[in-house]
Amino acid sequence: MARNKWVQLTILAVIIAAGAFTIGANLSKTPAPKVGETAPNFSLYGLDGAAYELNDFIGHPVVLNFWGSFCEPCVREMPLLQKKYEKYRDQGLVVLGVNLDESTVTINNFIRGMNITFPILLDKNVVRKQYGVYNYPTTFFIDEKGVIRQEIVGEMNEGSLPSHDIEKAIKRLLSG
Amino acid sequence: MNVEQSAALLDLSSTFLMVAFILYNLSFIVFGISVLGKRWSNRDADSHMRRWGGIGLWIAILGLISHASFTGLRWAASGHIPVSNLYEFLTFFGMMVTLAFIVIYAIYRKPLIGLFAMPLSVVIVAYGAVFPSAVTPLIPQLQSIWLYIHVTLAALGEAFLAVGFAAGFMYLLRTVNFKDRSASGKRQIRGVEYTLIALITLIAFIVLVFSFNGAGYRAEFVQTLIEEDELGQKVEVEQTVTYIIPPIVKPHNSVQVEMQPFLGMKEPLFEAPAWMKGVNAGRKLNTIIWSLAVGLILYGLIRLIIRRPLGAVVSPIMNGIDEQDLDEISYRAIAIGYPIFTLGALIFASIWAHQAWGRFWAWDPKETWALITWLFYTAYLHLRLSRGWQGTKSAWMSVIGFLIIMFTLIGVNLVIAGLHSYAGV
Amino acid sequence: MLTNTKCECGHQNPVGTVLCEACGLPVQQEVAESDGLLEMRYEGAARRSQKSNPKLLDRIWNFFSSVKVAVYLIIITLLLSILGTLLPQVNVVPSYDPASYYAEEYGKLGELYYSLGLADTFGSWWYKGLVLMIAASLIICSLDRIIPLYKALKKQQPVKHETFLKRQKVLYIGEVADAESWLKEAEEAIRERRYQVTREGTSLLGEKNRFSRWGPYINHVGLIILLAALLTRGLPGWYMEQGFSVNEGQTVSIPGTNYYLKNLKFTEVKEVGPHVSGQELQFAFETDAILYRCVADCNNPFAEPQLEEVLQHKIRPNEPLKYDGYSIYQIDYAFSPQATIMTLNVLRDGQPIGELVLNLTDPAPAYQLGDVSVELTGYYPELTSVDGVPATKSRLPNNPAFILDMTLADGTTEQYFVVPFQQYQTRISGAEDSEPLTFEIGGMEASFYSSYLMVKVERALPYVLAGALIFLFGVVIGLYWQHRRIWVRIDGSRLIVAAHTNKNWYGLRDELAKILDKTGIEIDAKSLDNSGVGKS
Repeated sequence: MARNKWVQLTILAVIIAAGAFTIGANLSKTPAPKVGETAPNFSLYGLDGAAYELNDFIGHPVVLNFWGSFCEPCVREMPLLQKKYEKYRDQGLVVLGVNLDESTVTINNFIRGMNITFPILLDKNVVRKQYGVYNYPTTFFIDEKGVIRQEIVGEMNEGSLPSHDIEKAIKRLLSG
Repeated sequence: MNVEQSAALLDLSSTFLMVAFILYNLSFIVFGISVLGKRWSNRDADSHMRRWGGIGLWIAILGLISHASFTGLRWAASGHIPVSNLYEFLTFFGMMVTLAFIVIYAIYRKPLIGLFAMPLSVVIVAYGAVFPSAVTPLIPQLQSIWLYIHVTLAALGEAFLAVGFAAGFMYLLRTVNFKDRSASGKRQIRGVEYTLIALITLIAFIVLVFSFNGAGYRAEFVQTLIEEDELGQKVEVEQTVTYIIPPIVKPHNSVQVEMQPFLGMKEPLFEAPAWMKGVNAGRKLNTIIWSLAVGLILYGLIRLIIRRPLGAVVSPIMNGIDEQDLDEISYRAIAIGYPIFTLGALIFASIWAHQAWGRFWAWDPKETWALITWLFYTAYLHLRLSRGWQGTKSAWMSVIGFLIIMFTLIGVNLVIAGLHSYAGV
Repeated sequence: MLTNTKCECGHQNPVGTVLCEACGLPVQQEVAESDGLLEMRYEGAARRSQKSNPKLLDRIWNFFSSVKVAVYLIIITLLLSILGTLLPQVNVVPSYDPASYYAEEYGKLGELYYSLGLADTFGSWWYKGLVLMIAASLIICSLDRIIPLYKALKKQQPVKHETFLKRQKVLYIGEVADAESWLKEAEEAIRERRYQVTREGTSLLGEKNRFSRWGPYINHVGLIILLAALLTRGLPGWYMEQGFSVNEGQTVSIPGTNYYLKNLKFTEVKEVGPHVSGQELQFAFETDAILYRCVADCNNPFAEPQLEEVLQHKIRPNEPLKYDGYSIYQIDYAFSPQATIMTLNVLRDGQPIGELVLNLTDPAPAYQLGDVSVELTGYYPELTSVDGVPATKSRLPNNPAFILDMTLADGTTEQYFVVPFQQYQTRISGAEDSEPLTFEIGGMEASFYSSYLMVKVERALPYVLAGALIFLFGVVIGLYWQHRRIWVRIDGSRLIVAAHTNKNWYGLRDELAKILDKTGIEIDAKSLDNSGVGKS
């Protein structure tokens, strides 16, 4: 009878393991990261030729902005992002602009015209899909631990629309 | 082959289908004589049954050969196996039912099964003929040998399950006590009546479409649909909807172009609700309303004449039949059909889906309904083999199983759109 | 409760035994006291789950070992599957915001459907959990039965108790004059029907097709293999599915892989079929593709990837490109004509000085035309103007505009703004006194089709298929063959013949009647039916 018991235990353990595995796999394959979850890591080349990895910035609050020069609201909020970058970079804030699959010539021309100095990353729809971004611009606010604290879809502003207030979002991020 | 030759072939094939249809009817009548006639002749009942049963079987075989010729000729004319629209599939399914019946007959030699299986193939073939018979092109995904194997085997498996239904329903007609006044007895009587009403409605629908078609009835509407284009913008699309039976319900958001008055009705009474999606939702709703109305009226008339449940009138045909044989036949037909169905409708379907779409299982509604059918018959086999559900319970399951099959074959196409959806009435 | 499980024949049976393992006499009290037909499932042997004093582990075991529970699980799965087909599932819904899509398209009902999680029935944890419970039931039900059944069938004895025989569903009781010679004839007749016969004294046991009893267990094993194979989709590298599109002439990196794919040409074939209607039929579409392996500089926007050609294949529906465990499927296509490469002739005073070949998807930043160096400093694929400033409307080169910085041989620089489709050009800066350069379209390359492909890894497939075929094999041997046994017992001149089959009693009665006929006992097959026993 003791042997039977072990057989039973083994089988039940296998089934429970399979269950944990399925449900675990089910929960982990959420298509897009949500607020409160860890921002998925990625590595991309920057316009400056350097390779960037999101996890390199752990310990820093990160503003991750998805943009393209073809997207008017993205273009309109660019100076604002630059302004905040200049204002808070001393406090450790990192701003990353993930470009949406444009040619380097187009991006360079645009960056020059706008005097953008924060890093621009080149993405061929990989990170965009990874982050489930379908509307532009979309901005993720990631805290020092790498957790997404806020996601703003659409053009950001300074105070005129609280849900899209970049200043407030950054303050929240910096205050921890 | 040029257009004229293939047109000639198609014409010829239709003739063969007609011949097959007539032979099936004839075979049904002969089986009727075989079973019912044993009482009016003063000859030996057994030899009477055997003789007429044999004749019925041969007529059915001839019908099957003619039906197969239809399939072969149409295949030659169109370049692909004729199972790609509802007209082709249902007529093919009817042929498979005949084939399944012949196999079961070969095992059990009971003419009585013919009395129920033959009308089943008659109704299925007639129902198929309701749908447009034009040859339709095969989209590239369907151009695969696996499709041929998948559809033919699935149809054959379902045909055996359908014969299982025929025998199971006969079992019920034989055993349900129409004088039983207890709650469970009444429930059984009602169940039999509902099944008969469903069959009558189906026949009413077929007759309806053919009579209006014969009379050349027509009504036309222009419907404005709001669709999303590739960029996600909403665009208005105008679409002409033609009715071949008088419109009680007109398509949602549509304007009447032409309508032949029917019994003084010059315009539709209602408009289809907006939430009904899908191709020609309004027209399908209209067809459903018509069939139900005519089916119920027909049933009501019959009831008025006979003044008893219909089942009570039909059941005496079964007198003297061994109900255990019926139970066994029903079960055997299902036992034969189940693996064939699994192979055709699930395994080969997956192989083909993997090859064509890269997904062997995609939870497309048709696929899911095939799984539902499979789960149902799996439960049937477990209940029967492990929990001793024989006789009445098992017979009711065979009836429900057939309903599920018919919904999988037709309901999914007409109601739920998916990869397999065909256009229809 | 303690029950005496020792049979009167002297055999000691395990707890839970219904029929004595040796002689078949009912040992369970209720069965012994009734007089109906014997329930022959699992040969009346004790199942593992039938322990006298269940603990928690046993209770879980017992729950899953019940066929009733299995049927409930099947029915619940069936009903949930039906619910899952009522509305389209999220994976086919053309929206990135399914919650509002369901509310908009199907109203309150849609909202409810979505909030109940039915919009993703087949991907939900509860549906998967249910399938898992079915798997548990498959494993435990099988184990719980197959071992005792195997043992019971292995140690069968030909001599069975009279009660056992009389309570079988097929029964014949008669008289024989000479037991020995009748037994000889009977043995012969039974053997002829391909039974294996064992004899002990005046008792006979004929048995055939025992393997059919293993059918259910084989099919359960098949299903377990199938379900286990599906589980492997969660293992890294076992399952991958990515869609991508590639225009004609374009080479793209295949997502999730180290490979690149070039679309040489996309073809759409339409034939007027041999048909009455003259309809266009048998149309097909295909991507003539080259598969490359990337050796170095992959996915680096600053370097050309180094590619090695692997193979060329025409990808069609039903004819995927297969290589290295990857399959690339033709899913769809779109007719979307688009310029891909533009050649600009550069002229000075009407004399050509060279041509600029501009890749409109990703133009290179620098060019050399004879002694003139050209730098492309600005590119607007679809020129528009936002507040008077040039901008691009999209990433598609529908109306490309270029800013070109030219450094002439003498070191002077000039800047031009050129919009070739509009035949517009202006010199932004440079020496005023010289003639400006002129730019003319010298040639164009275009892509007409975008081909939509899907790359897929499905390593579980062979195992899924193997599981399905094993299942089918089990079903077929379990359903199409029957395990039949015939017991003969002669006491003096009294003959008892009983028979049992797991299915198709009709066939068994027929067979037994034929066997008896051979031994000189003429009897109607129907009358062998013993179903009436115990029913009054």
